[in-house]
This record gives sequence, C-alpha cells and structure tokens, in this order.
Amino acid sequence: MSDAIIQCRNLGRSFGDFHAVRDVSFEVPQGEIFGYLGANGAGKSTTIRILCGLLAPTTGTALVAGFDVAKDPEAVKRHIGYMSQKFSLYTDLTVAENLDFFGGAYGLSGRRLRDSIDKVIEEVGLQDHRRAMTSSLPGGRQQRVALANALLHDPRILFLDEPTAGVDPAARREFLSLVRRRVATGVTVFLTTHYLDEAEYCRRVGLMVAGHLAVLGTPAELKAAHAPGEIRILHGNSALLGAAVRPLPGVHAVQSLGGGIRVRVDATHLPAVLSAARNVAPSLQVEVAEPTLDDVFLAVVQGGLG
Amino acid sequence: MTPGLMAVMRKEIRQVSRDRRMMPMLIIAPVMQLIIFGFAVDFEVEHLKTVTCDLDGTTESRELLRRMTADQSFLDIGPATDCLRPHEDIRSNRAEVAVVVPRGYATDLLSGHHVAIQILADGSNPLYGRFARESATAAIEAISAGVMRERLELARGLTQVERTIARPLPQVRVFYNPRMKSALFMVPGVAAMILLIVTTIVMAMNLARERELGTLEQVIVTPLRAWELILGKVLPFVIIGCFDVLLVLTVGAWVFDVPVRGSLLLLALGTLLYILSTVGLGLFLSVAAKTQQQAFLAAFSVMMPGILLSGVMTPIENMPRWLQPLTYLNPIRYYVEILRGILLKGASLSDLSFDFAALAVFGVVILIAAGLRFSKRVD
Repeated sequence: MSDAIIQCRNLGRSFGDFHAVRDVSFEVPQGEIFGYLGANGAGKSTTIRILCGLLAPTTGTALVAGFDVAKDPEAVKRHIGYMSQKFSLYTDLTVAENLDFFGGAYGLSGRRLRDSIDKVIEEVGLQDHRRAMTSSLPGGRQQRVALANALLHDPRILFLDEPTAGVDPAARREFLSLVRRRVATGVTVFLTTHYLDEAEYCRRVGLMVAGHLAVLGTPAELKAAHAPGEIRILHGNSALLGAAVRPLPGVHAVQSLGGGIRVRVDATHLPAVLSAARNVAPSLQVEVAEPTLDDVFLAVVQGGLG
Repeated sequence: MTPGLMAVMRKEIRQVSRDRRMMPMLIIAPVMQLIIFGFAVDFEVEHLKTVTCDLDGTTESRELLRRMTADQSFLDIGPATDCLRPHEDIRSNRAEVAVVVPRGYATDLLSGHHVAIQILADGSNPLYGRFARESATAAIEAISAGVMRERLELARGLTQVERTIARPLPQVRVFYNPRMKSALFMVPGVAAMILLIVTTIVMAMNLARERELGTLEQVIVTPLRAWELILGKVLPFVIIGCFDVLLVLTVGAWVFDVPVRGSLLLLALGTLLYILSTVGLGLFLSVAAKTQQQAFLAAFSVMMPGILLSGVMTPIENMPRWLQPLTYLNPIRYYVEILRGILLKGASLSDLSFDFAALAVFGVVILIAAGLRFSKRVD
C-alpha cells in the first residue's frame, strides 16, 4: 500500500445502463493539486461525488484519508471539504450564519466554532461582509464564501468541483491563490475544471473521456507525450492556409483562428509546411507558440485514446 | 443536544423567521381559517325561503301556514308563482321549500278525515329536506293535538282540568353542547385540520426545497447524522404548531365560546404527539419526493382523505363499514377525539388512553420511517 491520501482502484459507477465512470485508477499524494479534466458528462462530478462519500461506487474501491468511501463514508466526510459545482450554501442566510450552521454540522460549537469562523472569514478576505446576505454577494465573493465553508473544519483534502465556473478571470486568479496558500500548509486539493489554463496550476492532471481516465501525468509530461512537435501560428487567410497545410506529412493538428491558423507539426517537417504556406500567402507572418493542455486535450479526444 | 442538532435548529428558525411568506402562513392563516370555518360551516338550518299555496283559503289553512312559518325554520316569502307547479319556484332558486294546503283542508280536519299537506323541499341539499320535514311535522302535530282536544271536549264534555291529553313526550337532554351549536363541534376539528395543513405542507416542502436548491448535497457531505438533521428540522415546527394550537383555542374561546373543560396539560401532551405525527408525515413525504412540486401534491393527496376520514366533518359511524377500519390509521381521528374530549367533555387521560397511545405510535413510526428512507447519499 502506498501512503497516497487518495487511492482509487478500478473505480466505476453506473446509473442503469449508463456507465458514468468506468475502471478509473489513480493515486494522489498528500499536498498535491490534482486536476481532473474533461468535457461535460465525462464523469468528473461522478468521480468527485464517489470520493466524497455522496455516491456509492458500483465497482472498485477508493480510500480517502485512509477510509473506504463505500464502507465508511462518514469517516471520510470528517476529513474533507467539498465545494460543489453549483453554489449550494443558503442564500437566505448571511455569510456568518452559513458558516455557523455548517461548522455545527461538523461538530464545532462554542468558542472553537467562533474562532474557526473568524479564521476562515479572514483567510478569504470577507471580514467586511460577515453580515451580508449571501444572495446579495457577486459570484466571485460567493465562491469565496463556499471556499471558507469548505475550509472551516480544517480538512486534509479539499474537493473542488468546477469551483470557478462562471466567475470572472480576476476573481478566478484570486480564488486559486487562496487555494494554493492552503496547499502550502499540506492540504491536498482535488480540482475538476474545464478551464485548461486552470489545469496548468495543477501538479498532475488526469483527463477523463467518456467515463475513462484517458491520460494522467504532469502538464509537461502530457504535452510531451500527447502534443509533440512545434507550434506555429500562421497569419493570413485561414481557409487557404488550412487547405495548403493540412494534407502535408508530419502535421498533427490544424486549428482555424480568426485571421490565421495554429498548426502543430513535427520539427523535421516544419520547413516544408512553412514553404507550402508561403505559396498561398507570400507575405506570411509566423509566430512561435508553446504547446498547451488544449493541444493535449484535442489530441487525446480526436486520437480516440479514450 | 449535540452541536449538529443545535446548528440545524438555529438555521431552521433563522430561515423561517426571515421568510416573509412563512409567518403569515403560520400565524395569520390559522386564525383566518378558524373564523371562516367556524362561521361558514353551520349544520343548523334556519330561514328556509318558503312559498305557500293556500288552495283552501279558510281560517284553518291560514292558521296552519301561520304556525309553520312562525317557526325559525321557514321564512315566508309569499305565495307561489304558479300553484299548479310550485316546484318551479324551487327549480328557479326562488324558494327552498313550497307548502301546498289542498282544497278541503278545513272540512277534512274538522270532520276527522285524513288530512294531507304537500311539502316540497330542495333535496339538492339534503339538510333542507330533513329540516323541512322535521319542522313541518312539529307544527302539524301541535295543530292536530289542539284539534283532537277540541273534538274530545265536544264529544265527552270534559272539564277544564281534564282537557290535557296524555302524550308521551321525549325529554331529550343534550350533554356537552346543549344548544347544539355547530361551532363547538367544528372548532376542535378545524384546529386539527389547520395544524395538519400548516405543519405537513411546510415540512413536506422543506427538505424537497433543499434538494432542489442543491443545499442538501452540501449538508450531507458533512458528518451531520441523519437523526440530527431530521430532529433539528422537526422540532422548530413542533414549537410553531403548539403555538398555533394555543392561538386557535384562544380565538375559539373568544369568538365561539368554545370551553376548555379538561386539563390543559393533557391537551398540550396530545397536541405534541399529534404535531409529531403531522410533521413526521410531512418529513416522510419530503424524503420520498424529488421536487417541491411532488412533495406538495403528495401532501395534498394524503391530507384530503385524511380530513374526510377523521370525523372532523361527519361522524365516523356514518361511514360505510368497510371504510371505518381505515380511520384507525389516521392520526387526525385521534387528535379530534382528544380535542373534543378534553375541550367539551372534560375527559381524562384514562378516557383517552387509546387515542394517546395510537398517536404516539403513529408519530414514532412515521419519524423512524422517514429516518430510514432518508439516506445520506445523493443517488
């Protein structure tokens, strides 16, 4: 047995004939930010709900904080904080009242409860909004209340199910920096997202395709393994450029952009591609770009690795 | 009292007291309903609009009609539009009763022949027919007794002292509600009904609402135990329900002179057991339902037969034999018996022990059923 804080072995969950998650195995060591990626309906939320003890797995086992999620979900719940996809605190209660309720639900009371509430409210910077009705807060602040709520009982693992969906970029960055501050204290984070830039913050990333965990690794490993080659952005007429470049050998992927194309090609074939492009666009401008997880995602989904 | 239970109760009380629609529903609606039911549901029939057809036109026939309409039951609104078709006035809703005195009434009466009087009543409300018959019979009996007396007097030349005729007169003494006011019968039933509506519907919507909003998922991802959640949700509504009973009884005593002849403590105990049952029922429906709409419809379709099979409106003894055993499953039945017993008859615990025991069993069973049905999973 490894000492990983989350261990999944052959985990599966079906709803009738529909296999939402099948045969998923992975481990997350303590103190890591683990990113779980995939399209809507790929099985991200189902996995997170199994790990939180909200859904029983139909096959396989999962140990979270040392407890079996199927046999002892209540023990798991004591050690985790969970933020669901949808804002799910009470909008008819104030920030402090929500924390008061959930703190009580985690068994905190009296002085310990008050101290914990003060601490998390300060941590997420909502001191001035303690008495604000939760419904009156903008989306970004609501997310911070939900995070405060998930941190209230000092969990060892934080499960965040698309925590920043629908939040503006500045608020997203702020939110992620709050999460990383907790990670620095040894908390493990399991994060689902479909913002691929958000996944770059993760130490390791798993990609779900149709219920399977298709690939798993650090962002750099994944890019090297699944998005090899050079990335170039060629400015010009995207239809003409695409038609000229796409059939050439060594070309892995071509994406149309507004006013140009983004092409991923093996380094050895790059000169041939560039000269073919110049044939249709004599004054071609070429820009060098880095591979991203988007490239990995597209390659994996289109390559049928799932 | 665990921190979890306290936290749930604090939260529920905060939410209820903050909901602007909830307070009127919990406090104003019961009083309004009591007053409306107390005044509107009245089984005493008075002032039936009555048209008359005096085809005889004699002193005797006029005396008959005068005596009949002197009674509070009938309100003489004049002669029928068409004495050949007096029922037309009933059909057109001009009158509820028509009285036809046939030609030759006086002659037959005085000569000792059989006398027939026709009374037509609107049977679309069965109460009208029954009261018309009872009141008319009473009036006619009084007249025929007078006639008989006079005839005997003439025939035998009896003295003044012997003029009374020995007739067995039933001496009916009505206990507990001597003036037979409908309100006294209705108020305890209405109290039971109001409590049922308020507590069951509010409770049924409660958990279903949390499931719909997604807050339930956030709650069950905490280690909060199922019984802490359930009891924490139930207790505040039990307190509100007890307050409602107090309110309804106060208004009942004030407006309808409903007495409290028995022990208030016993009444409180019965109320507590009853509310535990109704709240438990609401919670059970709430656990079983997926949406608020389902919970509301389920609560409604359980409550309607519950009220009809409780004896609130009509006596259980009047129901068909095969239907009567069903009423034993009905907590409303027991509470109505407890309320009427304590309020009107001053009944003691030993008089009502069966009802108390039945209510307690129902309440505990339904709460346990709700607890078992509720699982801390989302699927």
